[in-house]
Amino acid sequence: MDLAPLGHDRRGVDFLAEGFRRAFALLVSGDAEVYGIARLTLKIGVLSTIVACGLGIPTGFVLATKPFWGRRAALTVVNTALAFPTVVVGLLLYGLLSRRGPLGAIGWLYTWQAIVVGDVLLAFPIAAALAAAAVQGVDPRIRRTAETLGAGRWRTAWTVAREARFALAAVITTAFGHVVAEVGSAMTVGGNIRGQTRTLTTAVTLYTSQGDFGLALALGLILLMLALLVNVGLQALQGRGSRA
Amino acid sequence: MLELVGVRHRYDDRVVLDLERFTLAPGATVAVVGPNGSGKSTLLRLLALLERPSEGEVRLDGALVAGAGAGRASAALRRQVTLVEQRPAMLQGTVRDNIGFGLQVRGIRRTEGNKRVATVAARLGITPLLARRRHELSEGEVQRVAVARALVVEPDVLLLDEPTSSADRAASQTLYRVLAEERARRPLAICLASHQLEDAYRWADDVRALAEGRLAPVTPENLFRVELPSGSGDLMHVCVGSIEVAVTTDKTGPAILAIPATDIIVSLEPLTSSARNVFLGRVTRLSHQRSGVVHVTADVGVELVAVVTQAAVHDLGLTPGGPVVFSFKASAVRVF
Repeated sequence: MDLAPLGHDRRGVDFLAEGFRRAFALLVSGDAEVYGIARLTLKIGVLSTIVACGLGIPTGFVLATKPFWGRRAALTVVNTALAFPTVVVGLLLYGLLSRRGPLGAIGWLYTWQAIVVGDVLLAFPIAAALAAAAVQGVDPRIRRTAETLGAGRWRTAWTVAREARFALAAVITTAFGHVVAEVGSAMTVGGNIRGQTRTLTTAVTLYTSQGDFGLALALGLILLMLALLVNVGLQALQGRGSRA
Repeated sequence: MLELVGVRHRYDDRVVLDLERFTLAPGATVAVVGPNGSGKSTLLRLLALLERPSEGEVRLDGALVAGAGAGRASAALRRQVTLVEQRPAMLQGTVRDNIGFGLQVRGIRRTEGNKRVATVAARLGITPLLARRRHELSEGEVQRVAVARALVVEPDVLLLDEPTSSADRAASQTLYRVLAEERARRPLAICLASHQLEDAYRWADDVRALAEGRLAPVTPENLFRVELPSGSGDLMHVCVGSIEVAVTTDKTGPAILAIPATDIIVSLEPLTSSARNVFLGRVTRLSHQRSGVVHVTADVGVELVAVVTQAAVHDLGLTPGGPVVFSFKASAVRVF
């Protein structure tokens, strides 16, 4: 039997404990760098979720409710795009935004705007596919009832959306969770520039590789808290809605 | 006038409705009867402009509103026709919100809307339900709320799909009374789908039978889905329930068999006659119709309905539970 020396285990525990101690110290002291990165991540996450869901949810609605030529193909494309590797999206966007690329003139490469564009490209198919599934899950009688009572196109859509509101809220949280957790695209088109394009995920990757485990852990904990807050918010919403 | 012209409607390449013409005149009360799966609900959804026919046209006052060459029916058009489904869905919110929905989408002010909601709820006896939400209602209550939210918007045409299927006797009577009051108050065409013939005859001016998606060319009583044997000659004996009915037809395979209620001779003893079909049974129901005739329903192995005059009922002394003989000629049986 190959037994690891006791001292080795002890060092592992110390390393982990030290990491947590430093992480909490950084969080409690309000470290400017840590909170700066968190603020930027939140800004990028919220903005890209708004844009992706603003475009994706109506697209999902159309895919779910409007019979049109090529609808099945469109659904397949959207569902396939769900599994698109983030780093490939980053790579394609890099090609577009680089100085020699077709969109190089706008000068967005290595800016937080480029990260937002990448995140929108990643979150859009999530929003569209999940919204389509959410709307398809609504009892078809709801739509017929609204229409037979005289509702127009928009009012009918709103009535159906209200029925699917929890599933649609889950679409938003899933999209948000995806954009704040992705690293491939943000690293490729953002460049992980300190104070400008460094997000929680790119920073965690960097500080771990530099051996600053405590700082990486502090940022990781903030990321976890963000996910936790979003989910708690969603559950509170569902709890209220189930009594509606 | 609301009409379907040359409509063939399909679901997944299966024809579920095939109607040369179906009209609903202003102020008419039409009942469509037929077994489950005969196409009644599909017919109502097409009339309600909620589905577009795969082939053919839906016309409203002569104007094409659905079918080839017509776009999606506008909300303004749909507002003239309202459908109450067999198992209606409640929208989110209270019963009051549900009844007020149609008024809200028509831009009617809240105070006026509340007044109308209260009036229609009182007429249908559902005022105590107004503050309830959907999970606090029984199926029968949901049906009454659905009728209320359809009536409150005062459509020109009201389509009702088995509106009393979950209602008790009192609730059914209330519903029919309210519909009669509504028709007395303003012009309202009603098309009701039902599998209960008695309700249909008691209530509608015009009863139409639907079988396998087609309008049956006979009255809707005594319709049976049968399998015709092959190679039996012109006169064949077809199993219907526990009896064998003699029919003359050259058709084979699946078919609908109709025994016109007016062609059945009712007696107390078997008659010596040319009728190939003579069945002994017991009267199960006597139903006096508005037209002065009586529908005699008897169990002769299957349930058959015969139409006789009130005088005949009196002379024969027919009573529920009493013996009866039904006779009809093989050539009277329609096969289609």
